Amino acid sequence: MDLLIDSFISAILLVVSLDAEMIAIVGVSLKVSCASTFFAALIGVPVGFAVAFSEFSGKHMIITVLNTLLALPTVVIGLFVYAFVSRRGIFGPLDLLYTQKAIIVGQIILIVPVVAAFTIVAISRIDERYRKTAMTLGANRLQTAWILFREARFGIVAAVIAAFGRVISEVGISMMLGGNIKGFTRTMTTAMALEYDKGAFTLAVALGIVLLGLSFGMNLLFHFFQGRTHS
Amino acid sequence: MTVYTITQLTKRFGSRTVLNIPNLTIEDGRIYALLGPNGAGKTTLLNILGLLDAPTSGQVHYLGKPVRFNEVQLQVLRKEVVMVDQHPILFSTTVFKNLEFGLKIRRIAKKERERIIEETLDLVDMRSFIRAQAHRLSGGETQRVALARGLALSPKVFLCDEPTASVDAENQTTIMNILRRINADKKITVLFTTHDRSRAADLTHHTLVLDNGRLIPTAYENVVSGRLFRNGQRQYRCRIRENISLAFTHYHSEVDNQRVRIFIDPEMVIPTEIVELSKDSNRTQGRVVQIMSENGKIRMVVDIGFRLTLLISRDDYEKTRPLVGGNVGVYIPPDAIRVIG
Repeated sequence: MDLLIDSFISAILLVVSLDAEMIAIVGVSLKVSCASTFFAALIGVPVGFAVAFSEFSGKHMIITVLNTLLALPTVVIGLFVYAFVSRRGIFGPLDLLYTQKAIIVGQIILIVPVVAAFTIVAISRIDERYRKTAMTLGANRLQTAWILFREARFGIVAAVIAAFGRVISEVGISMMLGGNIKGFTRTMTTAMALEYDKGAFTLAVALGIVLLGLSFGMNLLFHFFQGRTHS
Repeated sequence: MTVYTITQLTKRFGSRTVLNIPNLTIEDGRIYALLGPNGAGKTTLLNILGLLDAPTSGQVHYLGKPVRFNEVQLQVLRKEVVMVDQHPILFSTTVFKNLEFGLKIRRIAKKERERIIEETLDLVDMRSFIRAQAHRLSGGETQRVALARGLALSPKVFLCDEPTASVDAENQTTIMNILRRINADKKITVLFTTHDRSRAADLTHHTLVLDNGRLIPTAYENVVSGRLFRNGQRQYRCRIRENISLAFTHYHSEVDNQRVRIFIDPEMVIPTEIVELSKDSNRTQGRVVQIMSENGKIRMVVDIGFRLTLLISRDDYEKTRPLVGGNVGVYIPPDAIRVIG
């Protein structure tokens, strides 16, 4: 019990003093997660929008597949990407393994289904009268799509925030594709795992506090935008 | 000039036929009211006229040209035909931007857009709400902004689905006045659906009545169900209640004891002195529940077991001078009865 209390007090002091190593780790985590969320949004939002907006055979199958991919384990993605970027893989010559780029690629694969599935939900919730109103006011298909996109904007932002929350806290991909290299690919979660292995809890708890703080902030934002969608 | 000509139009949802209109023409610059009970097909017809839905079969001509219901042609035509929903939805932005949307699509210059928006909001008395967030408006205000959003586009045809259904009495009058003004000042053809027969009579040049997807030659009143019995060669009786059995001739059927709906022409029903009730004489009596003036005539509603409307001349009214709450006799001539389904 003393260990936990001592670690917690030391961790608080570490956070308050803005420890350089901790800041570097948080920086890597934020950089990698923001990049992967940005690219996943670029892919996932249009895919989700196109699926929700259009009527075609196989639409329900695509939605089912996307929903299934939401539960994809990070270690499976790590293994899958490793097969491509390791020296023997087809992208081996690009020397991507144990780089931030490799983590970003893995995390994009992890959260594209999240962004797409939540975007589909956001568009599907939009009142059908918006489409009809846009059409009767003379809008073409693209202009009608823009109206639906605008009306679903809070839901789509919520989808992107949910995706960010997923990658900032994942550990499998970062560990397998990043290698936990200090100052380069060491993220909050991989650093916590390492500190645990070393039996040194102070930095692990401090990173845990920062991660929880970030998650809490993300959830606040998520619920704010979800609320805007429903109002 | 004819705006719409419809021939042999049907609309089916699955195996259910919800519209079946052999012929219909809508003239330019007129106001039409489309009456009918719930599920009669009013909104479906409005969606087809608004070029938002295609018929299952049949032809729709707009301004003399056949509508092919392909996306390219529809996008051009929809710029001339605007429809306002029964429960209109405004985009979640300001009132100004709601009105600006359609104008931007039509590539109207910014200054001109601002002028049109201000003028149109003046027309619906909503100018002071120009910068307001649309989702903060009340039901009546939303309805008026929705009307303005369509009117700002200066359409040739303006279609409104139950424009007064979900607003208070004051807003109902305002909305009806707006429809009257845009028709009179801008010569816009207006077609709106409503349940309110008297309001429709006040405003419109033509009244169309839909019943079970078919246009019927009535004013959406005096339609009652009964059982049809043959009564000799080309003679029929329709029993409506135990004590009301009406004879008529305008029909031909070999079937006996058949369920039918009949229409009693309100202009042909005659008020009489109270007479001895007779089951076979098409004469009965009832209590007067409403009397009102309508286009130089007197509309009188008499409860004879169902609400029977009479549309009579002032002279005929003077002969009997019934009062609301009092009793009056009525004679329903056989010629006034038609079987409609």
